[in-house]
Amino acid sequence: MNTTIHFRDNDLIPIWEKVQNGRRLSLEEGLTLYGTRDLISLGKMAHFVQQQKSGDAVYFVLNQKIEHTNICVLSCKFCDFATKKGEPDAYEMTTDEILSKITPDIAEVHITGGMPPDWPWERYLDIVRSIHERFPSADVKAYTAVEIDFFHKKFRLSIEEVLRQLQAAGLRTMPGGGAEIFSERVRKLLFNQKIGAKAWFDVHKTAHRLGIPTNSTMLYGHVETIEERLVHMMKLREAQDETGGFLTFIPLAFQPGDTGIKPTNRFTSAIDDLKTIAVSRLMLDNVPHIKAYWVMLTEEVASVALNFGADDMDGTVGGEKIAHDAGAISPMTMAKDQIIRIIKDAGKIPVERDVFYHPLHVHSDHVVGKIPYLNSIPFYANFEKRRFRILPVTPRRMGVLSTQGELDAGLFSLMDYIHQEDELDQLGWCIATRDQVKSVMLFSKEGWRGLNGKTIGITDDTATSVQLLRVLLERKYGVRATFERLHGGVNDYSRFDAVLLIGDEALRRNKTGFDGFELVYDLAAEWYDWKKLPFVFAVWATRTTLPAETAAELRGLIETSLERSGTDFVRVAGMHGRSIGLTDFETQQYLEGFNFRLGEREKEAIAVFRDLLVETGIVQTKQPTIR
Amino acid sequence: MTLAGCFARVRSGERLSSEEGLFLLQNAELLDLGELANEIRFRKNPEQRVTFVIDTNPNYSNVCTIDCIFCAFYRHPGDQGEYTYSVDEMILKFKESATKGVTTILLQGGVHPDLPFEYYVDLVKRTVKEVPEVYPHFYSTSEIIGMANISGLTIPQVLQRLWDAGLRSLPGGGAEILSDRVKKKISHLKGTSADWLNVMREAHRIGYKSTATMMYGHLEKDEDIIEHLDAIRGLQDEYRGFTAFVPWSFKPGNTPLEKIIPTYATPTRYLQMLAISRIYLDNFPHIQASWFSEGKKTGQIALHFGADDFGGTLLEENVHAAANFVNKTNTDECIQLIHESGFDAAQRTTLYEILSVHPSTEAA
Repeated sequence: MNTTIHFRDNDLIPIWEKVQNGRRLSLEEGLTLYGTRDLISLGKMAHFVQQQKSGDAVYFVLNQKIEHTNICVLSCKFCDFATKKGEPDAYEMTTDEILSKITPDIAEVHITGGMPPDWPWERYLDIVRSIHERFPSADVKAYTAVEIDFFHKKFRLSIEEVLRQLQAAGLRTMPGGGAEIFSERVRKLLFNQKIGAKAWFDVHKTAHRLGIPTNSTMLYGHVETIEERLVHMMKLREAQDETGGFLTFIPLAFQPGDTGIKPTNRFTSAIDDLKTIAVSRLMLDNVPHIKAYWVMLTEEVASVALNFGADDMDGTVGGEKIAHDAGAISPMTMAKDQIIRIIKDAGKIPVERDVFYHPLHVHSDHVVGKIPYLNSIPFYANFEKRRFRILPVTPRRMGVLSTQGELDAGLFSLMDYIHQEDELDQLGWCIATRDQVKSVMLFSKEGWRGLNGKTIGITDDTATSVQLLRVLLERKYGVRATFERLHGGVNDYSRFDAVLLIGDEALRRNKTGFDGFELVYDLAAEWYDWKKLPFVFAVWATRTTLPAETAAELRGLIETSLERSGTDFVRVAGMHGRSIGLTDFETQQYLEGFNFRLGEREKEAIAVFRDLLVETGIVQTKQPTIR
Repeated sequence: MTLAGCFARVRSGERLSSEEGLFLLQNAELLDLGELANEIRFRKNPEQRVTFVIDTNPNYSNVCTIDCIFCAFYRHPGDQGEYTYSVDEMILKFKESATKGVTTILLQGGVHPDLPFEYYVDLVKRTVKEVPEVYPHFYSTSEIIGMANISGLTIPQVLQRLWDAGLRSLPGGGAEILSDRVKKKISHLKGTSADWLNVMREAHRIGYKSTATMMYGHLEKDEDIIEHLDAIRGLQDEYRGFTAFVPWSFKPGNTPLEKIIPTYATPTRYLQMLAISRIYLDNFPHIQASWFSEGKKTGQIALHFGADDFGGTLLEENVHAAANFVNKTNTDECIQLIHESGFDAAQRTTLYEILSVHPSTEAA
C-alpha cells in the first residue's frame, strides 16, 4: 500500500510530506490544495489518507428519509422545500403515515423536516419512539441541530434535556444538516433566521457528551469563498478534537434550482466537487468518514469521488424531497444493486452498514479483514493488492462477518477463532504479547478485589479481551463484576466503576491518562504475572471454503509484507502511531513487544487460556485448539 | 510482470505489449492510471489547454438494413418514422448550421440499400462548393462499404471518387469493438473488424484523416478492449491517418441489447478507458473526452485522465437521443466547462488547427 505521486504541481510536495507524516494541515495549505490544477495528485493524497482509515471499504446504508412536514417557520433563501401552513402544497405526516413508509430491510431512518409553528413536543418524540418500537433493527437518525435548537426554544427545555428525551425515545444518531457554512457574512446574506455556528456546535457537542454521535455537513457552491470553506472544516476539526463524536463529514453541493441566490443557475463543477471531497479528507484528519452524497453530487461525481477520498455513498435514500425540490438532477432513489455496482467498479468493497458504520454485510469476494489498530500494521504495510481487498473492521465484527461467510480471511480475535475453529484454517501468524501489551487496558476506580459486584464498561470491539478480563477477575482474584457493553462511538463513562478498552483508544488513554480512573491495569501483564506465558489476542486464518490456491496466494502476500516490514516499525507504522499521539520511539517500543509468529509457547498459552474458559463455563467442550 | 515495471517502461517512452496493457487495465489503481495518462497527455500536448470544435451531427437518413442490436436509431425501409433527406435539404441544413458558427459537419446515415452512389458524391461536392465555411467529415466505414456494393466499385475507387469530390476526413464511428467475437454478437451484418480496418487503411493511404472510436460497456471483455486498441495502434503505425481516439459507453435505451445490458457503464470505467487508451495508443496525437456521451461532469473529470480535447458542441444529434440519452450544450457553456476544469479553451478545426483561444479566468 505504498503511494508514489508524480506531482505536476510542485507546491503540493511539502504538503504531501506532512500528510505522510500524519501532520495537520493549515489554512494556507488548504488554499494551496484548492488552488491546484493537479487534480490527480490531490486525489492520490486524499485516497492515501482514506486508505489508512478505511482500507478498500466503501460504506452504504439501506435508508429511508422521512420529511415529516414541509411547513416551516423559517424562510431560508436557498430552500425550495419549505412552505407555510395553508399553502396548497403544505403537508404534515401522521405517525401512521410515517410508519407506512418504512420497510423491515431499512437499517437507518433519517428524519428531518420543516419546523411547524403548532406541533407539540410529544409529537416529535412519538415519531422516534414509534419507529424504534415498530422497527427495532432500524436505527433512528433524527433532527438537525436547527430543529433541536427550535425545540429547545419553543418547548423551554435545555438542549441537553431535549436530547436526553429523544435518546430515551430511541434516537441513536443525529444528521449533520443545518451547518450550511460557518460564516456570519454568509449567514446574514442567505439564512439569517437560522442558527449560527455557535448554536450548531452547542447542540452537537452536547449530543456527543450524551453518547449520541452525529454527522457534519458543509453547504458549498453558493456565495461562500474558498477560505470560508476551509475555516468551516477547521472549526469542525477543532470540535472533533474535543469530543470525537463526528462520524462523518458530508460536503453538500448547492442545488441552484429556483432559489435565486446565485447570479447564474449553474451547478458546481465536477472539479470543484472532487476537490472539496479530497481537501476535506486531507483537512479533517480526525473525522473517520467522508461521504459522497450522490443526491447532491450526482451519481457520476459520487462514483469518481470514491477514489478521491470518500468512503461512504450514503444509501438508497428513499423519500428525499428537499434537494430535489431545489432542482437536484439525481434520481429520487438508487437501487442497492446500482450502488454495489458503482462501488465495485471503483475497485472497492461495498459494505452495507448501520448508522454507526458497523458493517452488516460485505458484497464482495476476496475480502481480507484487518484489525484497525496499530499492532496489525506490519502485516498489511507492504500488502500488494491484486486479487484481495482489505476491510478494516473491529475484531468482534470480523467474527460476525466470518460466521455469515462474508469474509475470506483475516486476523481473527482468539475467541472468534475458538468458536469457529471448524471453519477456519490458521496460517501460522498471530498477535501475541511477550509480557505486556499496553493496548488492552482496564481503567479502574478500584483495585482488582474492590471490583466485586461493580459495573465495568467493556469494549464493544472484541470478545477476547473481555473474556480475559472475566478469567482474571474470577480465577485470579476471585471476584465477579457486571459487564456492560460500551458502544462504538462516544460514551458517557462516568457511570462505570471501571472501563475495559483495547486497541488505539487504550493506547492513547494509557498515555494521556483517563480522567476519573486512577488505576490502570495491563491485562497481558496481569496474565503473564499469573501464568508466565504470552497471551495470544488474535490469530491469522482463512475460511476453509477459500480454494487452496487462493489461500496459498494470500499466505505468500502476508509473508512478503511481514518480511518487507522488517523490524523498523517506525517506517511502516510511524504515521499511524503519530495519528494517535505516540512518538516514533513509543511506536517502535510498542510493536517490539509483540510476537507475530504462532510458535509452541503461543500454542501452549492458547491451550491454557482455553482450559480456563472451559472451567469458567464460557466455552463448552474441550477440543484441540490449534491445528 | 509488475505494475511498477509497466509504469516505468511507459515513463521511459517504451511501448506496452498487449499483455502489459491488459495487466494494467485489470490491476492498476484508477488514479495511478490517470496520473500516467495525464503525463503522456502533457508530453504530447504540453499546453494547459483543451480544444473543442463547433460541430453538428445530422443524419441524411435513418434507413438501415444491418440491424445492430445496440442501436435505437435505425428504421427498415418502409417502417414508420423512416426518412431520407435530399441533397438540397441537406445543403440547406448545412447552411443553417454555418450561420451558427459550425465548422465541422459529422455526417452519417444508416446503410441505405437504394441510395445511388452519386447521391453521396454530390453531397460532398455541393457542400464544398456551396457551404465553404464547413468542413465535411462524412460517412462511416459501413457506409463506404455500402457505396461499394451499390456502385460495383472497389473500396479504393469509392474513396478516390469521394476524395476527388473534396472529402478529406472520415468519422471513426462503426468500429464498436474491433473483436470479431463481440461483433458477431452485436452487429453480425456489419462486417468484421478487418473490414473496418481495411476501409480506414485505404483511406489513410490516399491521404484522408479520420478518427477512431470505441463503444464499450456491452458484451466485451477486457481482452477485447486491448485487442481493439492494439488493432488501431497497428494501423496508425502504417500511415498516421488517425487524428484522435474517441471512446464512449453503450447507451442501452430502446435497443434490443437493453434486455441483457440494462445500464450503461460507470464513470469509473470511462476514466479507465480514457487513461488506458492514452497510455496504450502511443502514436495517437489526441484523445477526446466526451461530455456528450458521458455527461458534463464526467467530461470535465476526463480532462485530467489523459484527454486533451473536449469533442464538439454537437448542435444536432439523433443516435444517442434515440436511446433516450440527451445532453445539450452551446459554445459558451463548452468554454466554461473547460475553464472550470482548470484549462484554457481553444476552438479548433476538424484537423486540430487552432482557430481561437479563450484563456481561463478561473483561479489557477
